[in-house]
Amino acid sequence: MISLADVPRGRASSWITPQMLAFAAIMGTAPFWLGPVGLYQYLGVEVVIWIIYAVGFNLLFGYSGLHSFGHGAYFGVGAYAFGLFQHNVVVSLWGGLGAAILASALAGLIVGAIVCHRRGIYFALMTIAFGQIFWFSSIKLHGLTGGEDGLLNIPRPPADFGLVSFDLSSNTAFYWFVFAALMLVIVMMWRITNSPFGRILQAIRQNEMRARFVGYEVWRFKLAAFVLSTAISGFAGGLFAMAQQGAFPDVMSLHQSALIVMMTLIGGGLVSFWGPVLGVALYFVARDVLGAMTETWLLWYGLMFVVMVMIRPEGLAGAIHLAVKRLRPASNSAPQGAAEE
Amino acid sequence: MTKSTISRRGLLKSTGAAAGLATVFGPWQHNRVYAAATDKPIKIGITSDASGQYANSGASDRRGMAMAIAEFNERGGVLGRNVETIHLDTETTPATGSRVAERLISREECAFLIGAVSSGVANAISQVAQKYGTVYLNTNSSSPTESGKNCHRVKFVWDGNGANFAKAAVKNTIDAVGKKWLLLTNDYVWGHNTAAATRKLVEAFGGEIIDEILVPQGTRDFSSALLSIQQAKPQVVAAAVGGDDQKALRQQVAQLGMGDSPAWINNQQDWPDVYGLPLDNLFGVFGTTWYYQLDLPGVAEFVQRYQAMYPETRMKVPGNVFYNGYMATRELLSAVERAGTTNNIAVIKQLEGLRMSAADRMQHHDAWIDPNTHQVQQSIYLATANTGSSDSDDMFKILSSSDPESVKDEGAAAACNLESYADTPTYEM
Amino acid sequence: MVDLIPHIFNGLTLGLLFALIALGFMLIVGVMEMINLAHGSLFALGAYFALSIIAPDWAADTALGQWWLGLPIAARYAVALVVGPILAGVVGMGLELCLRPTYDKAPLYGLLLTFGAALVLEEAIRIFWGSAEQNLPLPQAISGAVLLGGLIFSKYKLFAAAFAFAAVIGVWLFLERTPYGAIIKAGAHDSEMVRALGFNLDRLRMLVFGLGAGLAGLAGVVMVPIWGLRPHVGVDVVIPAFLIIVLGGVGSFWGAVLSSLMVGLTIGITGAYASAWSLMSMYIMLIVVVGLRARGLFGRKSVLEN
Repeated sequence: MISLADVPRGRASSWITPQMLAFAAIMGTAPFWLGPVGLYQYLGVEVVIWIIYAVGFNLLFGYSGLHSFGHGAYFGVGAYAFGLFQHNVVVSLWGGLGAAILASALAGLIVGAIVCHRRGIYFALMTIAFGQIFWFSSIKLHGLTGGEDGLLNIPRPPADFGLVSFDLSSNTAFYWFVFAALMLVIVMMWRITNSPFGRILQAIRQNEMRARFVGYEVWRFKLAAFVLSTAISGFAGGLFAMAQQGAFPDVMSLHQSALIVMMTLIGGGLVSFWGPVLGVALYFVARDVLGAMTETWLLWYGLMFVVMVMIRPEGLAGAIHLAVKRLRPASNSAPQGAAEE
Repeated sequence: MTKSTISRRGLLKSTGAAAGLATVFGPWQHNRVYAAATDKPIKIGITSDASGQYANSGASDRRGMAMAIAEFNERGGVLGRNVETIHLDTETTPATGSRVAERLISREECAFLIGAVSSGVANAISQVAQKYGTVYLNTNSSSPTESGKNCHRVKFVWDGNGANFAKAAVKNTIDAVGKKWLLLTNDYVWGHNTAAATRKLVEAFGGEIIDEILVPQGTRDFSSALLSIQQAKPQVVAAAVGGDDQKALRQQVAQLGMGDSPAWINNQQDWPDVYGLPLDNLFGVFGTTWYYQLDLPGVAEFVQRYQAMYPETRMKVPGNVFYNGYMATRELLSAVERAGTTNNIAVIKQLEGLRMSAADRMQHHDAWIDPNTHQVQQSIYLATANTGSSDSDDMFKILSSSDPESVKDEGAAAACNLESYADTPTYEM
Repeated sequence: MVDLIPHIFNGLTLGLLFALIALGFMLIVGVMEMINLAHGSLFALGAYFALSIIAPDWAADTALGQWWLGLPIAARYAVALVVGPILAGVVGMGLELCLRPTYDKAPLYGLLLTFGAALVLEEAIRIFWGSAEQNLPLPQAISGAVLLGGLIFSKYKLFAAAFAFAAVIGVWLFLERTPYGAIIKAGAHDSEMVRALGFNLDRLRMLVFGLGAGLAGLAGVVMVPIWGLRPHVGVDVVIPAFLIIVLGGVGSFWGAVLSSLMVGLTIGITGAYASAWSLMSMYIMLIVVVGLRARGLFGRKSVLEN
């Protein structure tokens, strides 16, 4: 099967690619087409936030080959950090988001320092164990977090840029804010994954021992990827706390952590930068549409997932890549239009 | 049926496009859009769980709502308009609750939202509902915080909570059994609030809490706790254990035959959770808000209507969850009729302070909605397992009924801060 | 320390039950080097099959059904204890067929596929048997309480622990002392040679998976009278099983047994003295052990490390 190394990155050295522009055009105009296609603004907000989460997650999962099954913990830490900052320090958008990033990066640093020495199944299990510890703590320390009732009444502070301030109370206004954040994260991640750092991570994924023999301090790179990934997930969590205006323990549960794995895999995160994007969009839309039609939608999603793993584990992005390749048999390996860069 | 009516969605589209900047820069509109046609159906969003831990209770809740709505539609609807429902599964997950509420309000244009079992989900939904002003009925979440710290102007709570049940049980049990109590508490907010209420009451009536055993949420094995209880030898054990943990506890206490000694005080037992289980799983004294064998006028007919509407369902007789769903929906629709409009503030004002007679409620005492906490103050029943009956459905033996005033949750009013009417967006669907 | 002894005894009992839960999982991990996240759903499925055997819904209508329900509960329970797990094993074999495309790829895919299968199986249970809490009837002989040292213990729990002990010994004997066990172990270590010797590797793998699934189902039948019977009950199984295997070391039978006992004791004793931390204690123990010994107590190098 194909991997990330196989899918060519024709415009790897550039900051903005055609795919990014197309993506920005689609997502940027969402408030105008969401309603007519039968969707709604809040769904758009949630999809954008989870795309940020998934893209950060895929740095670890797809690029570094570190399969974290407890990543919900960092998303949750970011959400709680944002909320606690608003309640206990000062009501401030930038402060809250900064707190979310710092808190989740710190959590990632502590956990990563322990788990990044391991690989494979041991790594996965330790991430699950830590995920469970965070989840358990968020329920137990209910004086701080509100327990299963949740941390409520988290405000949506206005986006204050000094000269001009935007009120984010309406879902539409808030959508444009998270969309801007999304594009920043996309551009940043594109640069990171195409940088020497990103290539070393891929080398580590392919063969850790060889990377070590070549002279790289493997553990440090894994830890850096881990912390970066948790920081981005925590940032998404902070945005989610604003969207929902609350923070709840559930996002840290094993079920939710496994969902991000499933979404990323189905979308094709193992083979493509845009895999997580496709996976998140597919999951939320399918869930909303199917969920309205049947109460057993999880059965169908699970079946689809099982079938996909069996026949096309490269996911949606991989399927698109292979289909495109088949349509252009004579082209060389510098694809201009490959949709999944 | 005219098509020229301005719908909520229609106005959002036009303000979105034409006044796009206004929605970016300006504050969210307080006074939103107005349905004109009176032949448009009234849409109610049903936010109950169809999967996850509370799937079974959620289904029963829904059936209660559906029966009430069917009764109104048979009589010609509400204000001459048919009542329609949309149900979306909240999956016992708060994030899903938020999304479901947003969808039901903004896309499906529901006038009201009904349904809750899990307090986390109820909180997520009620925050969204309060943001838009949509009236939300919390039918079955029995957490004391629902009408305390987490109360809202748009939310109404129809179930008794842990503090009510504790108040009903404690004094009687101290008098009947003894003063040495032990608390078995599930280590999460609901468990702690219920245990704290029990503790305060026990100490107020001269009892003594000799120990408190905390069990984490997710505990499936209670053997250590049960051994510790045996070693401590209390006279009464007050268990504040809920959800799936309670189901495991029930099995294990039944196997040990520890249901009789020491005396157990359990909190509310939801009918869908216990129906069909062997009787020794129902140990100790527990609470409920209603029972199908109450010797009151109207109860038998109510049960028959249930059986006629749901002949295929596993539960042959309805219980408290169905009852709460039915009552909440019925009172909401009656309030809309009395108000003469679906304007949310008018409906809220109809519900606040509403008095419902005992006969109407099929309970022993009159009930009313506390205007300061929005919780229904109703009769609280204590029951135990009905070992004498040959009817396998007749599982409860009602021991006593308490009038609402005597079991009132004293802490709630102080903790609850309802948003003002001015701060609550208004609409009319 | 007199007060502690009942808790230690209780912890050991719990440990034996954990060993039973982990048994099927361990077989598949140790022999096929694959992580079966559907273990919990197969556990639940075994229990639900047993319920349908002991007290089938359709029975009251037919003559055959009437005769069946007339049999003493002990007979029906014994049949369910055997047939329920066998049916779960059959489902497991079906699952193995779905897993075949993933064998030549990284272990991640098998793991993810079994996660998807777990979701599907749980939903299927909900559809066929409903979401309500149900009860598995037990014979009188193993129900009720027994007094030991002045404290009440559950007769059923002691039966379950003894059964678990027997199951562990039985599986070990099967693997170590029978020719089938030898073939299974050989298939894990050197599949080429096994094929060269004329054994059908595909069928072998399917049988092993079926056996692992059957053991999961057996654990389900035994545990639900303690844990309760609902569609969600399998969710509580996978993490302890996973944890026990890694703690004991992947590929080590007695490592898994020992770590089961350790986990049971830890939960039993913290349950007595620091009950609020009883569940967390097993995660903390895992982190400490794996932090010190990367491969767990008795772990061998395995393909799963990549």
